[in-house]
Amino acid sequence: MMFKKKNTIPFEIVKKFVVFIAILYLFDYSVGRILKYWYFKQDSGLLYRTTYALDSTKAEIVILGSSYANHHYTSAPFKERLHSTFYNAGRDGNYIFYHYSILQGILKRYTPQKIILDFNFEAFKKDEITYETISSLLPYYDNHPEIRSIIQLKGPFEKYKLISKTYPFNSLIYTIGIGNLEYNKTKRNKNYDEGYIPLFKTWNHTLTTDTFPRLYDLDSIKINIFRSFLLDCIKSKTQLYIVVSPSFTKYTYKDPSIQIACNIANELNIPFFNFLNDTEILRHSTFFADRTHLNNEGAQVFSNKVIDRILKTEKVKAFSFVKSQ
Amino acid sequence: MVFTSVIYFLFLFVTLLVYYIIPVRFRKIYLVAASILFYMYVKPEYILIILFIVIANYLLGFYIEKSSDKRRRQYLNISLGINLGILIFYKYWNFALSNFFDFLGLLRINYSIPFFEIALPLGLSYYIFQTIGYNLDIYRGSIKAEKKILDFSLFTLFFPKLLVGPIERAHRFLPQLKEKIYFNQNNIVKGSKRIIWGLFKKLVVADRIFIYQTAIFASSQEQSGATLALASILYTFQVYADFSGYTDIAIGTARLFGYDLMENFKQPLLAKNIGDFWRRWHISLSTWVNDYIFNPVALHHRQWGKWSIFYALLISFVVIGVWHGASWNYVVFGLLQAFALIYEFSTRKIRNQWSKKTMKAFYNPISILFTFLFITFSLIVFRSENFMDAVYFVRGIFTNSGNLFIDKPSTIIFIITGITVMMLNDLQVEYKTFKYSLLSNNNWLIQQLSYAALIIYILIAGVFDGGQFIYFAF
Repeated sequence: MMFKKKNTIPFEIVKKFVVFIAILYLFDYSVGRILKYWYFKQDSGLLYRTTYALDSTKAEIVILGSSYANHHYTSAPFKERLHSTFYNAGRDGNYIFYHYSILQGILKRYTPQKIILDFNFEAFKKDEITYETISSLLPYYDNHPEIRSIIQLKGPFEKYKLISKTYPFNSLIYTIGIGNLEYNKTKRNKNYDEGYIPLFKTWNHTLTTDTFPRLYDLDSIKINIFRSFLLDCIKSKTQLYIVVSPSFTKYTYKDPSIQIACNIANELNIPFFNFLNDTEILRHSTFFADRTHLNNEGAQVFSNKVIDRILKTEKVKAFSFVKSQ
Repeated sequence: MVFTSVIYFLFLFVTLLVYYIIPVRFRKIYLVAASILFYMYVKPEYILIILFIVIANYLLGFYIEKSSDKRRRQYLNISLGINLGILIFYKYWNFALSNFFDFLGLLRINYSIPFFEIALPLGLSYYIFQTIGYNLDIYRGSIKAEKKILDFSLFTLFFPKLLVGPIERAHRFLPQLKEKIYFNQNNIVKGSKRIIWGLFKKLVVADRIFIYQTAIFASSQEQSGATLALASILYTFQVYADFSGYTDIAIGTARLFGYDLMENFKQPLLAKNIGDFWRRWHISLSTWVNDYIFNPVALHHRQWGKWSIFYALLISFVVIGVWHGASWNYVVFGLLQAFALIYEFSTRKIRNQWSKKTMKAFYNPISILFTFLFITFSLIVFRSENFMDAVYFVRGIFTNSGNLFIDKPSTIIFIITGITVMMLNDLQVEYKTFKYSLLSNNNWLIQQLSYAALIIYILIAGVFDGGQFIYFAF
């Protein structure tokens, strides 16, 4: 087509652009709504666990943390020995931002009696990956205003990216499909135990010793979020326990993140149990599924050890309370 | 500023808007300023290097053109010395030193000096090759030296091609800078479409494969042969999608500003032999090497007969290999290509006879498959940290037992879908296989719907976290 004036932006391209944006908006809105419907329709699978933790659980004991939490805390001993309901809300590959968001979602609805936060080695390391994993919270941005500030830590443009209705479900389409499959529900009934996912492999290797402390920059945002986590639990009168899980490596040095977390916990009078170099567990390679995770047998042993420490702490606390009276 | 980042698209939007608002006479200087800003975004101090290169080559171009024969040669040598000197210092100095000390070690002489802790300025190999080509063209008399420093600056600095090419040629690009650029709807539409397609290749195909491939290459000792084979095949698709995706975004961006950059890829994974592959892959580099290295070397030694071709091929492909980085595996990668081309050159008559005797429907796919497998094999060497890693990896393909590792089925489904769409498009361009096309449909509405659907698919299946461009490293 010919333009009378070459240097002006003609009306036709503006019109076409508007039509294109309208089509794009319509597509984005429709696909986003469909994905949202199926996402929240899931009642099994990986993604459902987050929805359940945020929106439904009423358990008296809640486990929070990453894969360690998810595979190390089995429900039976907690339910039987502590006479409480239990939910393991740990999720693989998610870190302090995720745990804090789940805590916010839970505290908005009710106050659990106990929360166990499984604390990771090098948890305060400055890196990009931890921020990228915030993606797993994107589907909850609309319905959970209490976690929006955490989601916005992902990047300066996250708020604007979320204008798209499809973007929150990025990379999830097949997982949503799997979460809605009957097959998956059967699998869940077989293997899932109130959030706990057991590992059944056995790691037949010798214990490795890590003697080289890795220097890394600390992330002050992560440290502050951790502190807020502790303060929010205190404020809501939820008894928090922080636990460091063992992995099949003996560390001959102290990890700066664990030290900082321990100091903050001590300062706020929160019990901190460090099982990183627990000799009783490290003695048995058969307790491990891989170099870092306990298998089902190891998880049973470990869960009981955690409960022992909780009971001991509560006994001491009760004793000091009586004494002070 | 990564081409897939939000900040880049903000930069592009604002730059483009202002570009078409300001008067035509200010547009080139504005683009130079925007390109400088773009380059300074990552590491501001490196702008001094590129500005020095611009000024030095601009002046030397004049001197080469104006001087007598002997002086011309001297000025050309100065130009080569400056350009290659900077490139060698930043890219190859530590590698050369380390090899020199290793050699001294073999002679039982223990001597060393500290290495320089220097980062390679982004895009250095691309714009240095461009300026070298410019001065060689002036020396040969095939172009005139550019009189306007503004035009020469834009030729070197134009931001869409600054970091990962294409390595533009003066005779193609400088004449475009003489034209007055007016707003043209066609440029905006075609440029935008090209960018969307580039984003698809990069975010949906390359970055998705990256997730699988890096996990496998990082633990190659523990992976089964089938897993290693799959990872290496996927890596070939990844490099193609990554680099050609970037180039699509670069070409599309340039088009938005009214400029036409050269094509860098022509369906290379459908090549029927290695010669054919190098005519389709990283065309701006292979034609550069052809014009400034292969042809002069082959001509210079033409009395050697076919050996001059072999010799020129070896030199050219070692340069192509080393251009990618200071490491022996790149040299081996280049040598592999050269040997394959020598083989093809030596057996071309026999192969022609075979092709005539064999059914085309059978011969062509087999040729494509063998070419693809050879490229995949050579890219294992290219991808490895060192040559021995590549040897262990290849050995692992044939000796490691075990099942195929699939971390998440969704990753594999995303990868297969992405590769299928990308290759169907290549098949369509190459063979016009399908009568009905969505993205280039004559019906305007169908085309709009198709591109909107493509964007939504990028939102569904793209990888938005991490994802660096492989060819940034070169």
